[in-house]
Amino acid sequence: MTTLLPSLLVLVAILGLYVAARVARLGRPAREFLDAGQGLPGWAIMVLMPGLVLAGYGLDRHFVLVADYGLQAAHVGVGLVFVAFAALALWNRMWLAARVAGLATPGEALGRYYQSVALRVVMMGLTLLFALPVAADLLGSAGRQIEGATGGVLPRMAAIWLLAFGLAIPAIIGGWRASVLVLAMQAALIGVLLAAATVLAVILSGGGGFPSLPIGNAEGILWDRIPGVIQNSAGIGKAVPAGGIFTTTGIASTVVALVGIVLSPAALYLGQTVRAGSAFGTGSVWLTAGIGAALMVLAVPVLLSLMPDGMLVAATGLFGRAPVAAGGLLLIPLLGNILAASFFVTGGVILLSREFLHRYLLPGLSPSGQRLSVRIGLGFGFFFVALSASFAPFPSAVLASAALPLAVQMLPAILGLAFLRWISRGAVLAGLVLGMLIVVFTEPPGLILFEGLFLDVPWGRWPLTIHSAVWGLVFNLLLVALASAATARDPARFERARLHDAMLRQGGTSPGAHGLLWALALLWGFFAYGPGAILGNTFFSHPIFSRVEAALGIPSLWVWQILFWLMGVVLVWWLAYRVGLGHTRDIGTRPIRLGADEVLRTPDWLSSGLARVIARRSRRRKPGAGPVDGHEARREPRRIRIP
Amino acid sequence: MDDGSATERLDRHALVMAIWLPLGFVATALLHVGLTGGGAWWIGAGFAAIIAAFTCHVIANAVLGTSFTYGETALGAVAYAAAVLAVLATLLFASEPVAGRILLPVALGLAALLAAVILYLVIAFGARGAFERFDVIRDNNLRAASRLPHRGGRR
Repeated sequence: MTTLLPSLLVLVAILGLYVAARVARLGRPAREFLDAGQGLPGWAIMVLMPGLVLAGYGLDRHFVLVADYGLQAAHVGVGLVFVAFAALALWNRMWLAARVAGLATPGEALGRYYQSVALRVVMMGLTLLFALPVAADLLGSAGRQIEGATGGVLPRMAAIWLLAFGLAIPAIIGGWRASVLVLAMQAALIGVLLAAATVLAVILSGGGGFPSLPIGNAEGILWDRIPGVIQNSAGIGKAVPAGGIFTTTGIASTVVALVGIVLSPAALYLGQTVRAGSAFGTGSVWLTAGIGAALMVLAVPVLLSLMPDGMLVAATGLFGRAPVAAGGLLLIPLLGNILAASFFVTGGVILLSREFLHRYLLPGLSPSGQRLSVRIGLGFGFFFVALSASFAPFPSAVLASAALPLAVQMLPAILGLAFLRWISRGAVLAGLVLGMLIVVFTEPPGLILFEGLFLDVPWGRWPLTIHSAVWGLVFNLLLVALASAATARDPARFERARLHDAMLRQGGTSPGAHGLLWALALLWGFFAYGPGAILGNTFFSHPIFSRVEAALGIPSLWVWQILFWLMGVVLVWWLAYRVGLGHTRDIGTRPIRLGADEVLRTPDWLSSGLARVIARRSRRRKPGAGPVDGHEARREPRRIRIP
Repeated sequence: MDDGSATERLDRHALVMAIWLPLGFVATALLHVGLTGGGAWWIGAGFAAIIAAFTCHVIANAVLGTSFTYGETALGAVAYAAAVLAVLATLLFASEPVAGRILLPVALGLAALLAAVILYLVIAFGARGAFERFDVIRDNNLRAASRLPHRGGRR
């Protein structure tokens, strides 16, 4: 394993380098380095969408949870259908907004739609959170896995730096297009390896394991059932919920937190930069809700039941009989971490460069200058991620824990841009502040900080077995609804309505008109992963309308999961192909101008500061020259008016 | 400067690699198990993975309205020829038990691959069209007049 796994990783790195070099040799305009000319191939998004959701949630983390908690943790896999639903609806509208109003990045879209610099800053903060602590946490996990697999021959720190180098080079050479193409290939590899490893493990074990045997789990955990609708628990770190943490509300709120991956700035940007076609439909219906959820619901429990001592021990045991397969088994979680880390850093650096560097600091930069700045930024980005993963793994993990729930707090803002024109800027900002505060104080960053500085709070992580994403989102939505009602006569609503009208003209579809779909979706959600899922514990083994006990041979909950996964695919299909959100087509008209013209210029404090430094230097160089006042030396900043 | 077509070719190339990378990996793992003592079923599964990748490649071609490139055709032909030579070398040099164990499943797998390619050609181009793609003797006269129908050429 010491030689095989690093060899496989080197092959993956060479593949990335090859694709990046081919992209660079195309000689496309420098501007396309940042956004692939908004023409990413549809297949890449189709494949990357489920891969990103699985990797962003953390495949290795999910494997550990399923191994410990059994089917109650695996139930989160059904939620992939909901994630596909959200991705389809929101990415479609963000794509349309990018074409209809020329809103090229998620920050620009929200900032210009709501006329709010604060929202741009929040998006930049989220981008930074995903690009640095989250990516560092993922890279650190990958480093630990390599160290374990090689028996310490390749130490964690060396693995981290080698991985960071291997990921940075293709991104620096090929930009956004090359990164997405390479990551799509890795996502395809993860999916096929997960399916093949499961089949192989079942065959090599002689058909043992789940469902004939229980999934090996911790003491006192109900592995084949959900431990209630909700539990009166103070939260992780304060109390241990009886039977497991994945109650139905725990599952539902975790599923909502998963939507945070779709709402992360880099993921939204991915959706905005794809070319027109049916990528969203195919990607969400067949690959995310279909194959992705199938792997989570069907393959993961079976695979993990055959690995009671963990993946590394299983791979080591398999190595004697099938070394390539053993390497492939270890590649699954490893590639997941690498994929997500690379995506968040590359996307994050490009977005931060576009939103901050090219907008405020160096607004007059030429396209080739912008490309150079992003290349330098990518180098620094991967350097700092490796640095954080190497020397600050704990702070990275603590900060990373809040990333997904914080991203979920953007949901009202994006819903407003996508569908609900009555949501106002003030309401969004107020809800965002409240929701983010609640998230921070129900996740490790806030809890550790507050308890370290002041006093112990009576709750821990996920109080009442409800994920922090939902704690924040409930209050966020409540405040947004109330504040929007209070600001219904806001004059800015006419400007917002222009975008919605333009999108309706171009998109030609109004999802709000499909009442039956939304009713069925709510009903499905209630039973699939909401409170109604508790019925699945015994529904097929002890039917409620009969005294007959059915001997299925498999847990009733597993049948419930499979049934509702299949029903969910039909719902996503409806949204994609009957409502029409699965297709996008090129906009024939010129983009509309949203909001007032913006004047891009370097902030005064920055330009005057620079001028003072420059003046001092020139004074030192020319002692005979007269005194130079910083204010006199200040030049008028370059102004660029953009429509 | 690329006018867009090179970008589309590269996108397709990446898709083809995304198909062959995972399925090729699985095929390698299965064939390795089969050839090192696993048995005929593992070898068969390995070839099934290769045929699955080939099928996905054909589907990608159909969806994108493209065909196999010269590079892909050459790579496939070279790989196939190398596999046939490896089988022949095994027949000549390997011990009898080893040759007896792997020869039949590998030969059947290679035959199945060939059958899959022929089936694709017949479906895609028809029996005559499939034959004409290899009929280089008839096309060896490159003078323009030789392509006239009454001179035996064809358009």
